[in-house]
Amino acid sequence: MTTPVLQVEGLRRSFGPATVVDGVSLRIDPGETVGLLGPNGAGKTTTISMIAGLLRPDDGSVVIQGVDMGAEPLAAKRHLGLVPQDLAIYPELSARSNLSFFGRLQGMRGADLRRRVAEVLEVVGLTDRATGASKTFSGGMKRRLNIAIGLLHEPRLLILDEPTVGVDPQSRNAILESVEALSGEGMAVLYTTHYMEEAERLCDRIGIIDGGQIIAEGTRDELVELTGGADTVTLVGEGPLDEVEAAVAGIPAVREVRRVAGEGRLVMVVQGAPQAISAIVATATGAGMTLRDVETSRPDLESVFLHLTGKALRD
Amino acid sequence: MRVVLAIAWVELRRFLADRSNLFFVLILPLAMVAVIGWQFGSDRSGSPVSVHGPGGAATEALVAGWEDAELAVTVRTTPELVQEDVSRGSAEVGVLLDAEAETAWRDGIPMELEIITGSSSQAPAVTQVVRAQAEAVATEATQVGLLETFGDATEARAALEDASALVPPAQLLVQQPEDPVAVAFEGAEQFDNGAVAQLLLFVFLSTLNAAPALIKARRDGVVRRTMAAPVTTAQAMAGLTTGRVVIALVQGAYIMLASSLLFGVRWGSLGVAVAVLLVFGLIAAGAAMVIGVLVDSEGAASGLAVGGGLVLGAVGGSMVPLEFYSDTLRQVAQLTPHAWANDAMAQIQRQGAGIADVLPQLGVLAAMAVGVLVLGSLLLRRSLARAM
Ligand SMILES: Nc1ncnc2c1ncn2[C@@H]1O[C@H](COP(=O)(O)OP(=O)(O)O)[C@@H](O)[C@H]1O
Ligand SMILES: [Mg+2]
Repeated sequence: MTTPVLQVEGLRRSFGPATVVDGVSLRIDPGETVGLLGPNGAGKTTTISMIAGLLRPDDGSVVIQGVDMGAEPLAAKRHLGLVPQDLAIYPELSARSNLSFFGRLQGMRGADLRRRVAEVLEVVGLTDRATGASKTFSGGMKRRLNIAIGLLHEPRLLILDEPTVGVDPQSRNAILESVEALSGEGMAVLYTTHYMEEAERLCDRIGIIDGGQIIAEGTRDELVELTGGADTVTLVGEGPLDEVEAAVAGIPAVREVRRVAGEGRLVMVVQGAPQAISAIVATATGAGMTLRDVETSRPDLESVFLHLTGKALRD
Repeated sequence: MRVVLAIAWVELRRFLADRSNLFFVLILPLAMVAVIGWQFGSDRSGSPVSVHGPGGAATEALVAGWEDAELAVTVRTTPELVQEDVSRGSAEVGVLLDAEAETAWRDGIPMELEIITGSSSQAPAVTQVVRAQAEAVATEATQVGLLETFGDATEARAALEDASALVPPAQLLVQQPEDPVAVAFEGAEQFDNGAVAQLLLFVFLSTLNAAPALIKARRDGVVRRTMAAPVTTAQAMAGLTTGRVVIALVQGAYIMLASSLLFGVRWGSLGVAVAVLLVFGLIAAGAAMVIGVLVDSEGAASGLAVGGGLVLGAVGGSMVPLEFYSDTLRQVAQLTPHAWANDAMAQIQRQGAGIADVLPQLGVLAAMAVGVLVLGSLLLRRSLARAM
């Protein structure tokens, strides 16, 4: 059996009366990319802070590459690269200076440091912007620098906390590609996101987190099976949506209905969408809804989340 | 150690990246030294001085001397009137001569003057002028008197002029009655007091500005990232503090050098002065860390840093010299690092104190430094749990 790069058992943490992380366990093997998928406030960042040794857990243990974070934090941190959710770069300094500084903190220096700085600048495509103050960067470039810093010392475990939030599609794609390349090189990756497409594309295994608990865990296909093969139907339009919601919920094939707040959208989990779709449309229009669009899709992580929690991932 | 230096180096670079820092660190303090020096300075022409004396040769010679120094001298008929002038503020300084002084003058022996210093900020400086001029007049009179025994007065005066280079420096003929302020300022030149006070005030102020810088670093997430690397809280604290203390020392050295070149300020033993400055800078850096961790808004921290720096400076004798404080106020002042540092610097500057002489002050300052630095480290560790 291989030694896991990350082994987390029963992490728990409260802030005041609120239990924010409630018994999270995780295991990541070398070369594996594991996703934590959950909505804002699910407890992803808090979990990661404890894994990275920034926050003391109330209970539970974190072991990185066989080293216990609670007992030997400095040794455990050597195996870890963290890409925080909020950009963590010095805006006054250039990309190169930022990298050199954080490299030194990792104990790198001299020619070795310079070589790695040049390499990661290349990886994230910032070689020709290495010297200007990073505050002049676009959002996407800052995000890329943020990731480069996490990669610099070639950690065994790379933790990325929502690395694509607020990034243009092009930069986002570049980021996803570099994460794919890294796990190809044998790095273990823990990736949190509330975008299910990213989790589906990148992750070998995904933990679905909500309310501080991992409520389901497995490969994408394993998770989708939890829905019993149900499809997702989305109605887009205007009208008395509360009444429409109640009406379609009465159709036997419809197992879950959820309104996406603020938008004229009803998302439902449907057993056998192709057969049920005409009944759904008829019921909705009958209840007074003016339809602009109807989408049906095969089950995905969105429907898994809806199925498990009765909530949409993003609302 | 390498980690500490890396953090310190980044702090320096961040500091230099903001050019406006240079104005506060390098230009403003010197401007203040200059302004306060000139205010405290030698040009006291027109300052009102009230004098009472028996009206003999001594009184006349001194009054003439003070008038030569362009002081506005009023001669009063009773000592009480002089007292009244000073307490009402219509004279900065009052001088009382008695019959004994006249006799001493005639006999060419040291005489006593009573000098009453008013309460205005100008008064101590005017007192200095009154004293210095009185000494000069008295010295010259004594010398002429001595030479007169060889011939007539005109010849004697000419001989004195020829010999002026050979004549020993003026002996102290004028004695001021017990006046702690005058004693304390003995040896202080025009710009000296102001320079020490401004040095400490500004080094503390600009070092406290590490507080908003730390908040910015926390907001930028770089502190979290630093702590996710194999770095201990103590190393992080040491790095942040070292960066700031280096800035404080550079600023201090610059103010010392520039003020001595431009205004002739003497600093006494440089090594001892720098030692005081180092410990003083550590306190400021530690205090900045405490503020920077407790407060989450950069604006509030800036305000606190400037306000706190000014209040501590004012209470600690960096605006009005400690020598003018009442006993109660003096005790309050002892709570500030400024008071101890001002005291130590004054001794180094005016009395040529060495490291052993200022050990008590250094000890108190070191204890303050340890206190704020330990507190800062504890708070820094705790702050990582706070999302910002
Ligand atoms: N330092 C803190 N003090 C109090 N509550 C916190 C703190 N950090 C996070 N929380 C709360 O914990 C919950 C989970 O937050 P977080 O872990 O950031 O979620 P996510 O990263 O999944 O969006 C949120 O409700 C948040 O408000
Ligand atoms: Mg988060």
